[in-house]
Amino acid sequence: MDSRLRRQLLAVPLALWLSFGSAQADSTPGSPLLRKPATNHWAFKSPLRSQPPRTRESGWIRSPIDAFAVARLEKEGWRPSPEADRLTLIRRLSIDLTGLPPTLDEIDAFVSDPARDACERQVERLLSSPHYGERWGRHWLDAARYADSNGFEKDRAREMWHYRDWVIQSLNSDLPYDAFLTHQLAGDLLPNATQDQLIATGFLRNSMINEEGAIDPEQFRMDAMFDRMDCLGKAVLGLTVQCAQCHDHKYDPFSQEDYYRLFAFLNDVDEYTAPIYSQAELLKRDSVHEQLRRLDEETQRALPDWRERLALWENRVRNDQPEWTTPELVEYGDPGGLSKLQPQKNGVLLAGGHRFAGGAWRIRARTTITNIAAVRLEAFANANLPFNGPGRSGNGMFALREFQLKIAPVKTTNAPVDVRFASATADFETSQSPGGPVAKDKDYYGPVRFAIDGNDRTAWTIDAGPGRRNTDRKAVFLASTNFGFVEGTELTFTLTCHDEIACFRISLSTATNAVADPLPRVVRETLATPAERRTPEQQTALFQAWRASEKGLEPQRLKEEAIWKQHPEPSGTTLALQARRDTRPTSILKRGDWLKPDRAVRPGVPGFLRPPLADAQPSRLSLAQWLVDKRSPTTARVFVNRVWQAYFGAGLVATPEDFGVQGDAPSHPELLDWLACEFMTPELENPGRTGGAPAAWSIKHLHRLIVHSSVYRQRSAIAPDAYERDPYNRLLARGARFRVEGETVRDIALAASGLLDPRVGGASVFAPAPAFLFVPPTSFEPFPWQDAAGSDRYRRALYTFRRRSTPYPMLQNFDAPNGDAACVRRARSNTPLQALTSLNETLFVECAQALALRVLSEAPAADADRVRLAFRHAVGRPPTEREQQHLAGLLEREQRHIGEGWISANELATGAHSLPKSLPPGVTPTQLAAYTVLSRVLLNLDETITKE
Amino acid sequence: MNRITREQDAMEAWRLAAKRRWFFKQCGVGLGAVALRSLLGEAAGAAPSDPLAPKLSHFAPKAKRVIYLFMAGAPSHLELFDNKPELTRWNGKPPPAELLKGYRAAFINPNSNLLGPKFKFARHGQSGAELSELLPHLARTVDDIAIVKSMHTDAFNHAPAQIFMNTGSTQFGRPSLGAWTTYGLGSESSSLPAYVVFNTGSKGTSGGSSNWGAGFLPTTYQGVPFRNGGEPVLYLSNPKGFDSFIQRDSLDTIRLLNEEKLKAVGDPEIATRIASFEMAYRMQASAPELMDLSRESRQVLDSYGAEPGKPSFATSCLLARRLVERGVRFVQIFHEAWDQHGNLTKDIAKNCQDTDRASAALVQDLKQRGMLDDTLVIWGGEFGRTPMVQGGDDGRDHHPNCFTIWLAGGGVRAGLTLGESDDFGFNATRDRVHVHDLHATLLHLLGFNHEQLTYRSQGRQFRLTDVHGNLVTQLLA
Repeated sequence: MDSRLRRQLLAVPLALWLSFGSAQADSTPGSPLLRKPATNHWAFKSPLRSQPPRTRESGWIRSPIDAFAVARLEKEGWRPSPEADRLTLIRRLSIDLTGLPPTLDEIDAFVSDPARDACERQVERLLSSPHYGERWGRHWLDAARYADSNGFEKDRAREMWHYRDWVIQSLNSDLPYDAFLTHQLAGDLLPNATQDQLIATGFLRNSMINEEGAIDPEQFRMDAMFDRMDCLGKAVLGLTVQCAQCHDHKYDPFSQEDYYRLFAFLNDVDEYTAPIYSQAELLKRDSVHEQLRRLDEETQRALPDWRERLALWENRVRNDQPEWTTPELVEYGDPGGLSKLQPQKNGVLLAGGHRFAGGAWRIRARTTITNIAAVRLEAFANANLPFNGPGRSGNGMFALREFQLKIAPVKTTNAPVDVRFASATADFETSQSPGGPVAKDKDYYGPVRFAIDGNDRTAWTIDAGPGRRNTDRKAVFLASTNFGFVEGTELTFTLTCHDEIACFRISLSTATNAVADPLPRVVRETLATPAERRTPEQQTALFQAWRASEKGLEPQRLKEEAIWKQHPEPSGTTLALQARRDTRPTSILKRGDWLKPDRAVRPGVPGFLRPPLADAQPSRLSLAQWLVDKRSPTTARVFVNRVWQAYFGAGLVATPEDFGVQGDAPSHPELLDWLACEFMTPELENPGRTGGAPAAWSIKHLHRLIVHSSVYRQRSAIAPDAYERDPYNRLLARGARFRVEGETVRDIALAASGLLDPRVGGASVFAPAPAFLFVPPTSFEPFPWQDAAGSDRYRRALYTFRRRSTPYPMLQNFDAPNGDAACVRRARSNTPLQALTSLNETLFVECAQALALRVLSEAPAADADRVRLAFRHAVGRPPTEREQQHLAGLLEREQRHIGEGWISANELATGAHSLPKSLPPGVTPTQLAAYTVLSRVLLNLDETITKE
Repeated sequence: MNRITREQDAMEAWRLAAKRRWFFKQCGVGLGAVALRSLLGEAAGAAPSDPLAPKLSHFAPKAKRVIYLFMAGAPSHLELFDNKPELTRWNGKPPPAELLKGYRAAFINPNSNLLGPKFKFARHGQSGAELSELLPHLARTVDDIAIVKSMHTDAFNHAPAQIFMNTGSTQFGRPSLGAWTTYGLGSESSSLPAYVVFNTGSKGTSGGSSNWGAGFLPTTYQGVPFRNGGEPVLYLSNPKGFDSFIQRDSLDTIRLLNEEKLKAVGDPEIATRIASFEMAYRMQASAPELMDLSRESRQVLDSYGAEPGKPSFATSCLLARRLVERGVRFVQIFHEAWDQHGNLTKDIAKNCQDTDRASAALVQDLKQRGMLDDTLVIWGGEFGRTPMVQGGDDGRDHHPNCFTIWLAGGGVRAGLTLGESDDFGFNATRDRVHVHDLHATLLHLLGFNHEQLTYRSQGRQFRLTDVHGNLVTQLLA
């Protein structure tokens, strides 16, 4: 037994030896309380560029990185390792930069390339591959806790892959990291924000959404907020900000107030489900708006007196509305309690949490008005609803089956009586139509009278078609007889819906001639604004409202309708952020409890981190700008450290999520700072690239810096004493050697077998998985997981649908996180379940079968050549003599065993009893089966799934 | 011999045993591993230690393994354990206003009328513990269990409350009790996972895989879902057409090639990989044997109500016993069925029919085999049910203030009934046990000081009980 293990067996307190890291002495209970928070801590000061040190190993040094690393080694009296051979190097580079192994052609080309810049050209080839963005995008997606489902018990699918693709494309186009971050934190606030910038804000929306019945939506909105703070801390700041949710941080000078001031930046958003248009659809949409603009101009040219007529109309309509009163709300929600309504300002109610597909809202209210003649129902667009609502169907629609009212005098036990409605008007009605875009059953949709016809199979719908459907709507219902008790009236409204109306208000009027106001809210606001203070948008809205009602403009209206008909339907959706119109106050929460708000706070940044916030009117955009200020102490350090970690297995700071006082001390502090500074403000030329100074915050520049260092190119073999003195290779005396990440384990098998479908981007795919995982009792409710057929089956693992409550077993077994929370450092385990997976899982077996077929088609007839080829497909290099012997032995034994007829060769080679479809000429099923056995062995070698 | 010496002796004996088991396991991976160690040379530090090797706890544990019957959906304490005659008298009346101060309910208006208990209660056994008529089998085992009637929790929606009961946090991403246990104690099985999970019941749990997740602990410690019929572990069987000869030949070749690589580059991780393939092979052999209930006597099968080849809660209970017999550290059966917002009378009776016999049989079976002393059995859900009615007159809403669980074996005081609630079963009033307190106590039984079983993550030492938890000493035998 060696000494390390023996130490473990002596009863060292468990906590001390079970956890990695070196800060154990600090964890003594009590001690931190005595310490003053260290504002002087290295990571709270801006990084400074230091000169690379002079070292003895001058011949070995290729880049400043090497000088820093060797200086550290020399301090220990150690020497770096020699450069890895080209075979190893090309596989290492290829896996590191694209997550895929090199093809044999790529290997051969590089190994035989005599050019001095052969390596540089390989790096450029790999950096410009679309697979580069896939590989490094996945790292960011870990931090961004990306998933394709909402989480919690129902865990339904969400469409979020546009965000995943945005990450991939941004990396491929080398969007500088400062912009990369800014778009994700505040893309919606950028001037003339593009759809892509809106998609980027999905970063903060990757939080889980609870759709369980009877939840309080605000509670889980707050949970999502805490998750966003945690993510910001881990992914961007490298600080354990979540510690300060309940109390001041115990180690870092980060107070609870700091936490909630930071929180306030993120709190002021609506959780928006945005429509997504393809490039072609975007062009079409732009064309619609351009045509509408021209139509306005045309109309104005054709009517020289339009201004006068508009003014007359303004005077006519300005005061044509009766007075409306909102009753006092007593109780609201769905009577079963599953779905909840949250009160907003001015009597408005907003649905959240569980969504009912068919059901009813019940609103109890009180009023003292008498002689009530009309009831108005206003539905409001709201950015928390799909596409802005005002309903909650996939595209924000609702269908109102019945609108009912019962009344009773207050403080009596009299049974309530029905109010009968004689007629109804609405600002939008369609003619009767069976079914509609809002529902699939046989309901009839149409005019507002459907809501008072006593028939649940008919409903008022508000779908005005693409481009116009997601807007405020109103209906007014006139009572047969006026009502209202002198002692006060208790009103009980029942709104029976198909898809529910989700943001609305009910009000009352005594006007017997009330009708639904045809003018939208923006026009009413414009009318109330003095003409000289109106914005161009207001003027346009006013003009269009006038055109919609003015006599004699029928031809223009028909033209307008025709233009709108060209508006495309969005082909997708994504979760994004939208700034709120009215600010949402943020308070410090006592002990982090959302039910215990304390003193209110304004948005602000922690004082101990420089620089101070420049903006007097702070917004998420100013927060983003503050984070990417070159003086910000942790932003660049945290990012370069994580990139380093991906290359070397451990970061220069081994705790990438914590650069605070309790975090790991950097192994090479000057190197870390040099990299951070060179990343933000490049001074070196692009290594390996002629001309063109690298851009500030260029991530590809950072990759070039690292892969063109001698430190990176070292051999990874481990001498016994080297392992003893530095098991985790923190001092970089050798190249990195570790098992690749779960996605790459899969991708290597797909690439080696030739099955890989290299298409980039698109909706997530349902890679084959055991069906029982997606039905009860394993899944809370059935989830539609249809194993992909065709080449989608063989897409890179990055594209496998990520369902939070059912992590994809192959990826989970190989330590991929499931997106419950931000992850900036994956575990790297080595378990029997992994062995079972790579030996027996469906796709791995298909890969073994395909690799067998591949080598039998590609190689000449000699077994030795075929074995050699199969080996090279798996690990890149040719086998040694002994390896070749072991494999030849296996092949011979298995050919004999299978040939003896113990098993079905066809079944082994194809999974079915049929003959393989394309058996190469001269190859027998027995041979194919034996090669399948051999291929499976090769795909299961340590080396195959290891970066060396 | 005085008490201290006895404990010291027990401790020393236990330490030696752990050491022996560990050595046996580390070296028991076949000839390959022994050869490897000499290849590497002792000085090379050998493979990084197996994270699942048996480990020492802070003090000698009373419970060496756990079977947790998780009654997801939250059973009504008022129909099963907590007899409230007063509630019968209040049936149909609104609850007293002072009870509802600051109370939030999930579905109902808190001011809904009270609903009297639906079933009769009686006292049983020497302990005289009270149980409802729905639990006749447990009634015969009642002297072997401890009932806690004063549980309370922080959450009252299913997913957060289940996560809370299992991980000590309502937020996702923390390690489960099972993960903490295997992290702390390792595994005593070299051919089965350390932490095994079954899902029975009519649907899946609300908390999903996070209920048995490893959170920030290494993924090695997460629960491995087993099916209670067919192939128990994913990817356990050889692919179609691959027989045992091919499998063994393939694994031998993989080992030979990995050994070549190990010689060439000296990375101890390769040795670990070789060992993990060997354990996978052993798992392939031992799992079918585990699942083969035909070796169980008719009497045992009948006592559980299990039928070989028929997946059920009963089958899972029997498999749980077989798993712990084979050295598995933690088995958890999630039976999601108890969310009786309506149809309370009929559905809770059916749930008891499905679970009562097997739960009681498990305790008795462990006892007869002499395993109950060091096997902890836990039965309970994520919260209780309201004394107020939901719907017409046959449903109850979620209720966090008071609920009941029971425990057996593993150092728990048998025959104990701990805690009391008020006349309505609304608030736990005496000897209140919060979820954190339960966790602290469970860890204590497993040999850990809950404040010292920690893992460093995100800059601080995390523990199952966060900054809370008091040991419930009354529960200890």
